[in-house]
Amino acid sequence: MNRRQIIKPTSIVAIIIILFLAPVLIESIYWMSILALACINVLLVSSLRSIKLLDHISLGHVGFTLIGAYGTALLVMKVGLPFWGALIMAGLMSSFVALVLGYPFLKVKGMYFAILTLLTAETFRSIAYYWRGLTGGQLGLLNIPPPSPLTFPGLGTISFDTIHNYYYIILIVVLISLSIIYRLEHSHLSFKWQAIRDADNLAQSVGINVAWYKMVNFAIACFFAGIAGGLFAHYQHNLSADATSRFGVWTTLYLLIYLVVGGEAKFAGPIIGTLVLMFVGEFARPLGEFQPMIIGALAIFVVLLLPGGIIGLPDQFKLLYRKLLKQTTGVQGSV
Amino acid sequence: MLEVRNLDKHFGGLAAVSELDLNVSQGEIFGLIGPNGAGKTTVLNVIAGTFLPTRGKVIFKGEDITRFPPYRRAQRGIARVFQRNVLFRSFTVKENLLVGFHLRSSKSATEIFYKNAAAHNQERVEREKAMQILRFVGLSQQADELAINLPHGYQRALCLAVALATEPELLLLDEPLTGMSAEETATMMDMIRALRDERGITSVVVEHNIRAVLGLCDRIAVLDYGRKICEGLPKEVVENPEVIEAYLGAEQDAV
Repeated sequence: MNRRQIIKPTSIVAIIIILFLAPVLIESIYWMSILALACINVLLVSSLRSIKLLDHISLGHVGFTLIGAYGTALLVMKVGLPFWGALIMAGLMSSFVALVLGYPFLKVKGMYFAILTLLTAETFRSIAYYWRGLTGGQLGLLNIPPPSPLTFPGLGTISFDTIHNYYYIILIVVLISLSIIYRLEHSHLSFKWQAIRDADNLAQSVGINVAWYKMVNFAIACFFAGIAGGLFAHYQHNLSADATSRFGVWTTLYLLIYLVVGGEAKFAGPIIGTLVLMFVGEFARPLGEFQPMIIGALAIFVVLLLPGGIIGLPDQFKLLYRKLLKQTTGVQGSV
Repeated sequence: MLEVRNLDKHFGGLAAVSELDLNVSQGEIFGLIGPNGAGKTTVLNVIAGTFLPTRGKVIFKGEDITRFPPYRRAQRGIARVFQRNVLFRSFTVKENLLVGFHLRSSKSATEIFYKNAAAHNQERVEREKAMQILRFVGLSQQADELAINLPHGYQRALCLAVALATEPELLLLDEPLTGMSAEETATMMDMIRALRDERGITSVVVEHNIRAVLGLCDRIAVLDYGRKICEGLPKEVVENPEVIEAYLGAEQDAV
């Protein structure tokens, strides 16, 4: 085993342990909420990147988040399903909508796909905003109950009415989802997605049902967007769908910036991008209306100087180091 | 084996192909030639399923495949080499072939999370099969290079290899010899012949290089303005006065 093979798994395990200990270490409800929201955003950006494997940019991810959020909340409040059932159902609903819309949408590429998805998300938002009977209209859905308490034999009962406890549900669901997305990315499915991205006409002619595989990709990504939405509904305790809400265009833009700044080439890119930018954003909060400018400046900086995003930094350093070594010694550095 | 019946293909008001009948039999290398814009590639596109014909039928092994999408034609045994080097750019040479195996390999959804011994075994068999095909097209040395980094002639060979990975019965070759050196041309022609003789693979070749087509093909059809003006053995085609007038006239000295 080489050094890399040891460092990578141990650091992942260490990060997961720290994340599990976070509610014990962080007392502030404010910072705990930020961390919980960051986890939800990580799932959103990671699933957005999963669509990017096809080289499609979806600007409609918040639309599917909205379906998941309202779906979970309504299934819990009006149908009386338990939280977990509602969460899965809402995810499936979101992915079903994606499957149906994906058939016409995925026939176009690039900017056209982006525009279609953007309009779809805005349409979903308008429906949620004006359908008073179902979604509470402009007032929104209020008092979404926390998930029912879980009883572990021998350990006692945990209720999820505080953010410190609800954070565990978010963390566990996000970790499971991320590991599924990771496995998918290293499977034969993703192999075909990348083949389709490279040359869809050749993929067709070797017998790959391109339209179907694209739809599956979109549906899977939107399933996780729906799950993230469901987690968000119970995190926020109330939902509204006005233009400045979580489901507006701004969120879409932030998700894209997280993805670009983190770097889309690697699985860890969206995770790092989201965490870094969210916490930079929080520290810049005292600056008031200048806060988006800090994020914007950072995004421009990364796009201009680090085309691979933050995740590409180690490779850039390695390149620079080798260049320096070559200059000083006149010998080509070994890998 | 392959039958094209009364085929029309119009693009708007332009008739790219009209009233075309073709009959390609098993184990034959069939040439499709004609001046620029004669509709050769359009015919190939209709056979491969990229375009749907305006009128007419495409019949493959007795089955009407006129309305089949391309991937279902591939399942029936039709493979295609595109005119330009269409490859999976970010994959290595070997991985390009592994995509090609998609059709003949069954992969279950559980494999996403867990690979059992059979799955590992299948992967090994596929890698071995990929190397066999690469040895056939002469790319076994380049197996782990990125497809995009190969020179043109090798890329052309790789295009053929990807098509072969689908284990086709009918190969549609769109200008397989363009931009190749004399030596590469000869190798490619030998390969197409070997596929016919050893595996009984039928080929339909669209090509500009007249000398190569005459040497390679068993039968030839000549298109001009979307119509077939002549069909027969290479020797007959060259002597046909209509063909000479339409197409070979200017190039007669060269041939």
